[in-house]
Formats: sequence, structure tokens, C-alpha cells
Amino acid sequence: MEGRGWGGFAAGGLVAGAVLWSLATTDVEFSRLLSAGPRIVDFLDRMIPPDPSVMKEILKGSAETLRIAILGTLGAVLLSGPLGVLASETMAPPVVHRPVRTTLALIRAIPLILVAMLMVGAVGLGPLPGIIAVAFHATGMLAKFYAEAIDGVARGPIAALESAGAGPLARLRHAIWPQMAPVIARDTIFRFELNLRESLILGIVGAGGIGFYIQTYVRSFQYDKAASVTLAVIVMVVAIEAFNVALRRRFS
Amino acid sequence: MSSVVRIDELCFSHDGSGLPTLDQVSLSIPPGEALALIGPSGAGKTTLLTLLDGRLRGWRGRVSVLGDALDPDRAPPRAHRADTGFIFQDFALVERSSVLRNVLNGRLGRMSPLRALFGRPSKDDLAVAHAALTDCGIADLAERRVDSLSGGQRQRVAIARCLAQEPRLILADEPVSNLDPVRAAEILSLLTEAARRRGATTVFSSHQPDLARRFAQRIVGMRNGRIVFDAPTAELTESTTERLYDDATVAVQPRLKAVL
Repeated sequence: MEGRGWGGFAAGGLVAGAVLWSLATTDVEFSRLLSAGPRIVDFLDRMIPPDPSVMKEILKGSAETLRIAILGTLGAVLLSGPLGVLASETMAPPVVHRPVRTTLALIRAIPLILVAMLMVGAVGLGPLPGIIAVAFHATGMLAKFYAEAIDGVARGPIAALESAGAGPLARLRHAIWPQMAPVIARDTIFRFELNLRESLILGIVGAGGIGFYIQTYVRSFQYDKAASVTLAVIVMVVAIEAFNVALRRRFS
Repeated sequence: MSSVVRIDELCFSHDGSGLPTLDQVSLSIPPGEALALIGPSGAGKTTLLTLLDGRLRGWRGRVSVLGDALDPDRAPPRAHRADTGFIFQDFALVERSSVLRNVLNGRLGRMSPLRALFGRPSKDDLAVAHAALTDCGIADLAERRVDSLSGGQRQRVAIARCLAQEPRLILADEPVSNLDPVRAAEILSLLTEAARRRGATTVFSSHQPDLARRFAQRIVGMRNGRIVFDAPTAELTESTTERLYDDATVAVQPRLKAVL
């Protein structure tokens, strides 16, 4: 097709233009890349072996990150309950659910680290701004998921229970809840996993958790200690993912 | 009580309900009868069954079911709703729950509100539910989740839920339209037999006149929201029932096309 050919040509030109513009204005020196070999070897040499003496800091930081993720998720669940109802097409009229959905999309568009920096400015250093930031950021996604869980409930079983003589509360308990609960449980576990991953770096902006130690050791060139923290982060992420996969399978 | 169902001059036009209209429908059904509603798609069979179940709003006329006059503006009380059982065309089961849980849902109208809320069935509730499962030949499926069942098995669960309700009037909307002819006959036989043993009145709709002739004592033919014939099965000739569909071929055509 003629029109499509032109469209493809234009898109190709646009991509090529964007790449050239980036290369020309960013001062990428290939000589620097080529000479980096010895420096990288030196860097790795300073990381290996990882220094195990920071175990105490790792445990303290990991525990704080875990607490931020848990309390941040709790905050997001509490906010997403009512917001999910308001964002639902079946529970709220368009004048309500449309602006709520737009607001949630805007919240999702703000990166967590940015929210965290603003919260540190607002309430000071420590895990509290981290918790608030995670709760706020996660609500953008979780409230949308909850709304979809509500809208995904089949009407047939509700009508069937009404026909059988069940009252409104019994219908909620036996027709709506069994359809919704597993979806909500799965969504919440999924969001908790994301919260944990994303809050690992919060310490870098002073919002608490293990990220603080990564930043401290890298800035002070103690790469063997930074390596230990990095290994701890990897272990934590893999462990929590394995745990969550097992947990989510129960809510199929 | 002389009639289980008495309808006088019923009219209904679909304001946004999406259901076909009903026009000047009058019908009376004696206790214990098995009655079949037949007619092409859009004839008003589902609308009429929904009305009898007390879930249709905004109709005009006089309707009494099981001795209670229905109100066009509000749902009947719980006890009345429990007395009329409805079998939905698409089964309307809670997919993620077990077969037993779904059948026990049929008992919710019979339980005290507190028992219903906490889902704590009494010994009697459990006994009735298990008897319904056995009657429907699915006692061995009690613990299975509904989303792991075949269409025929789901239909049996839907019937068992209705029977667990211990209804005096059973309304079934196209209960066998999703099944092959052998299964369809099996299910209708099971349903009408279980209803007969319990002394319940049965009204089922079907677009298969041969099944209606086999399992109903009386057949009501509908077209365009009107009753066009109403006679005991023995008095109906095959050509009368066939004619109901003959001139409707044009109306049915688009659906056939979609299927083909």
C-alpha cells in the first residue's frame, strides 16, 4: 500500500534522526570506551572478594527496606480499596470513575524515586518518607487493578443468588467475594513484590533502607563492601520472587 | 390454591432491559404440571420466565405466582424467591467455588440471614444439597471446582443448585440449548423426573419442539411476544409446532448466518 510505505519511511527517518541527535549532542567518546578495559579490571579487583564484615549493616538495611515495602503496600491497599470502587465502571458513574482513572494514570506516571525525593523534602530523612512514597506510587497501579477486579465480576451468579432468595450481604459474600478475592490477593502480592524491588534504591535519596549503604560504600570507594550489599540485594530479590510465585499460585 | 401461575393481560416493553417485549399474555398453570415454552429467538420466552421469577420490572397487567401477587416495581420477599427456582441458560455458577459450595448457594434463601452471611450450612442444608447432587448424578464431583467441569456437568450443577432450593415452581431458561441431542434428552429427563418426584411445577423453554413433546404435558407456543397456541402435548400435531418456526425463518436467518 502506498500510504503505509510512506508512513514506514517517515518512521524510519524519525528513529534515525533521534539516534543521530543523541550521538551528536552527548559527546560519546569511543576512545574512552576502548580504554576502559584496564579500569574495569581494577574496579572488579577492588570488588572481589566482597567484604563480609558489613553483614550487620546489610541485615539492618534489608530489614528496613522490607518494613518500608510492607507498610507502603499496606498504605496502598487502604487507599486502593475506596479508590478502586470509585474507579470502577460498574460501581461509580462516569463523572466519578473517569476523573479518578485519569488521576491514577497521572500518579503512575511519576517515578517512585521522584516521589521519594519530594517526600524527604516534606517530612525529612528516614523510612517514613519512603513508606509514604511507596504507598502513593503503588496506589496508582493497585487501585486500577482493584477496579478491574470489581468490573470483572460476572453478574450471572449474583442474579442467581438473588433468585434463590439470598439477601444483599449474602450475595456480596457468596457471589461477589469468591470472584473478586483471589484476583485482589494476586494483584496485592504482585504489587508488594514490585514495592520491595523499587524500595531497594530509596536509601539513595535518603528515604530509608538498604540503598543508603550502597550509596555510602560506592561514594567512599569501598567497592568490596558495596559488592556485599549488591549480593545481598540479589539474594533478597530472588528469594522474594520465589516466595511470591509460590504464594500467587494458590490464588489461581 | 388452584393455579401455581396466573397471568392476566400482561404487557411488557423493553425500556433498556434488552429483553424482548410481551404483548397481551394470559396463562394459567395448575400445580404439578410440566409445561414447555417453545418459539423462535426473540419470542419472549426468557422475558416471561424472568417475570415469573420476580426479576422483571416495569410490566403491566396482573400476575400471581404461588398465590402471591407480583409487584412490577419491587422484588418479591425472600421466602417467595426461595420457593421459585430458576435455571439459567448460561448456568450462572460461581466458577472459582466448589460444586458443593455452588449447590449450597441454592440454600441461602432458606437459611437464617446470619447463617447465610457466614456460609455455615446446617445438617439439613447439607443433607438437601447432597441429595440434590445425587439426583443429578454428580455426587462424586462435590469437591471439584466448577471451572474444571464440562458444559454438561455444569448444567447438572445448575440444576442441583435449583433443586437444593426445594422450590415449588421450577423455571428453566433453555436448559439444554448448549448440549448435544443425547445429553439434552438426558438432562431434561433428569429435570422433569426430579421435579415430578418433588411435586414441583416445571416451566422450561426450548427451541426444540421434539424435546418439548417428549418431556412436557403441555406446550405453549410463542412468537413476537404473544402466545400463539396453548394445548396439551397429546392434542398438538407436529405440523402445528413446526409452523411456529416456518414463517419465522426470515427472522431466524441472521442468527443462522452468524453460526455458519
